[in-house]
Amino acid sequence: MQTRPRLFSLLTIKSLDEQYPMIDLQLSFRLGAIFSLGLLLSQTGIASEPVPQDTIPAPTTGAETATPKSADQLANRVKALEEMVELMSSLQSAAPAAPAPVAAAPAARPEASNLDIALILDAAAAWFSQEALQTGAHDPSDTGFHLQQLEMCLGENVDHLFELKANLVFSTFGVEVEEAYGRTLSLPGGFQLKAGQFLTPMGRLNLTHPHTWSFVDQPLVNGTFLGSEGSRGSGVEVSWLSPLPWFADIVLSATEAAGECCARSFMSGDDLGIRTPLDLVYTLGLRQFFELSDDVGLAWGLTTQQGPNSTGNGNRTEIYGTDLYLRWRPAAATSRMALSWTFEGMMRRRQIPGGLRVDLGGYTQLVWNLNPSWEMGARYGYVSGSEGDDLIPEATEDRHRVSGQVTYRPSHFSRLRLQGSRDQPLYRDEPIWVGMLAVEFLVGAHGAHSY
Amino acid sequence: MKRMTHIFCTGSFRQFRLAACTILLLSSGAAEAALKVVTTTPDLAALVAEVGGDHVDVMTMSRPDQDPHYVDPKPSLVVDLARADLLVFNGLELEIGWLPPLQVNCRNAAVQKGGTGYFDASRYVKVMEADREANRAMGDIHPGGNPHYLYDPREGAKVAVALGNKLAELIPAQRAFLLQNAEKVAGSLREIAKREAERFRGLSKDQRRVVTYHRSLVYVIDWLGLERPLNVEARPGVAPTPGHVARVLSTMRSQKIKTIVQERHYPTKTSNTLARMVKAQVVVFPGGASFADKKELYSQRIQRTVEALYDSLSR
Repeated sequence: MQTRPRLFSLLTIKSLDEQYPMIDLQLSFRLGAIFSLGLLLSQTGIASEPVPQDTIPAPTTGAETATPKSADQLANRVKALEEMVELMSSLQSAAPAAPAPVAAAPAARPEASNLDIALILDAAAAWFSQEALQTGAHDPSDTGFHLQQLEMCLGENVDHLFELKANLVFSTFGVEVEEAYGRTLSLPGGFQLKAGQFLTPMGRLNLTHPHTWSFVDQPLVNGTFLGSEGSRGSGVEVSWLSPLPWFADIVLSATEAAGECCARSFMSGDDLGIRTPLDLVYTLGLRQFFELSDDVGLAWGLTTQQGPNSTGNGNRTEIYGTDLYLRWRPAAATSRMALSWTFEGMMRRRQIPGGLRVDLGGYTQLVWNLNPSWEMGARYGYVSGSEGDDLIPEATEDRHRVSGQVTYRPSHFSRLRLQGSRDQPLYRDEPIWVGMLAVEFLVGAHGAHSY
Repeated sequence: MKRMTHIFCTGSFRQFRLAACTILLLSSGAAEAALKVVTTTPDLAALVAEVGGDHVDVMTMSRPDQDPHYVDPKPSLVVDLARADLLVFNGLELEIGWLPPLQVNCRNAAVQKGGTGYFDASRYVKVMEADREANRAMGDIHPGGNPHYLYDPREGAKVAVALGNKLAELIPAQRAFLLQNAEKVAGSLREIAKREAERFRGLSKDQRRVVTYHRSLVYVIDWLGLERPLNVEARPGVAPTPGHVARVLSTMRSQKIKTIVQERHYPTKTSNTLARMVKAQVVVFPGGASFADKKELYSQRIQRTVEALYDSLSR
């Protein structure tokens, strides 16, 4: 009940930060109409209920209420009150969405709806020993300076049923809606629904944004199998938290495959449109977590993604993946050190004219947080290659990449990273040596990261 | 069910009483299972357990030796929260880095913002430093005010009373007991607060001067009438810089400060070095009650904390 008056409140966000005075948002939530209708109906319900007039306690003065004349009168009053209680509880179950009366709503308070806003800037200087082959859309992609992205994260509870999340990315090419979805907060039975545009639950890293990554660039397998922007699309998702004693969550999403950026193993080229449910991309995942001790946790995901591809009518793609995340963080260590190991492996099967292509890819990384200020990490990534790849014709052989990074965090709102890689596409004569120096700045509400 | 059990058990069916009551109690146990409460910190867990008695089943998401700002949002905590009737948290953004994703992922209506089992303890206390200018250039400052109010039992008492009201709302059958018990807990906390404040006031002004590591002990300083010229950390949440540590050292020397106070979850290296140089003592406060392993009460842990501090100051 406490959340409802917010629907009628007006929210004004003066400015994000003094440095960005131009971004002045005025948002008003006027969702009252539907709920007012509900309220009207419920009030009509009260009026038409046949309740004997004499048993309803009329508004009386305090003195009258305090001195009932006889035991009979008292019994009558109790009976009347019981009836009222019954009536009220029946109303509650009949019209759960009816808000508190508008007149009783408190005056708009600024904290009634706090839209969380964060701005994150990623920029890098990079050097490549020869022509770069980066796969991520926000990776530094040639020698020189790069504005990787200016990411704006927004989010807040819409009402007592939904929350809204949006990730907008400003780059030199314009503004891009990476994610914008509504999500239910508390459906019964452990279910959760999501609708809008979102990153699909394919693997572990795909669900996250670059500012949570330990490395400056995207792993090879994500860029090659899923998309330079990761796997995402417009659609719906349902997930179910099982009643098992450990965390076990099943998730299924249906999305419209959207181009090379975001579904490159599916409808990367011509969009053939949606005619049947089979033209959508489906992602199914099982995520589990095992608490091995207070200090050690293991997350394990199994995922698959299936949908049509654009190489010919009826041709389909299937991706199967598994991911492991093992984290050791001594809870009592004052240094706040942590050691995290991640593995993600994927197998892709694509029907193409004249046969079936099977590719493998994956990465593994070890990241050591020495303390809140320093972090170092090593990563190895791999994607297979063979003759006749219609997506990357030059990738006739396997590709290996080894990367190392050192990070310094002056606070948890900024970081400075130095990363070096030896990228070895076997179809090139020489390996590509890469050096990157990246900075990241965050202002605004720093949303908590998932485990 | 509870009422029926009571009538039956006090009835005159002597020979069947024991067996029948056992059966009834077992079944009523299922019907009236203890309220499942999940708290973010062990201090809150200790308070809920003391106020709720047998009517609550409490677990804490963090340990007293753990920094409550930086708890890993493990998915296992999602499972705990999914089954909770009541979430009790500290508020003032103490848990901002890990509680929100757990709440959304647990899909439990009760513990969502504004739900029946959503209890922000900071709403019932007198918040310090709420009107302070907050900018991240000053470090990791909580704009809503200083969240470490549970170091002061006067604030703990207010939380106990508010918890009594909340529990009474969720377990109406035990309303009278819960309200009375909450008042009892709060009363003993107020008494400790008064007694200790008087004892510390007996110390000289020089003895009452301390240096704290993090800016988290403002409530203790206010309660016990201490004076704290500066913190070891120049900016809250940012590791101490050499220049600032030198300043702390000269201040400790000139003002003859003999005690550095800090919590268990902060690194002790800088404090120990400083203490060695000016022959001071480092008093390490527990981050909270040893609730999960020793069932320590909140009042016991407050007593333990101030005892160590008094010993050091009165040297």
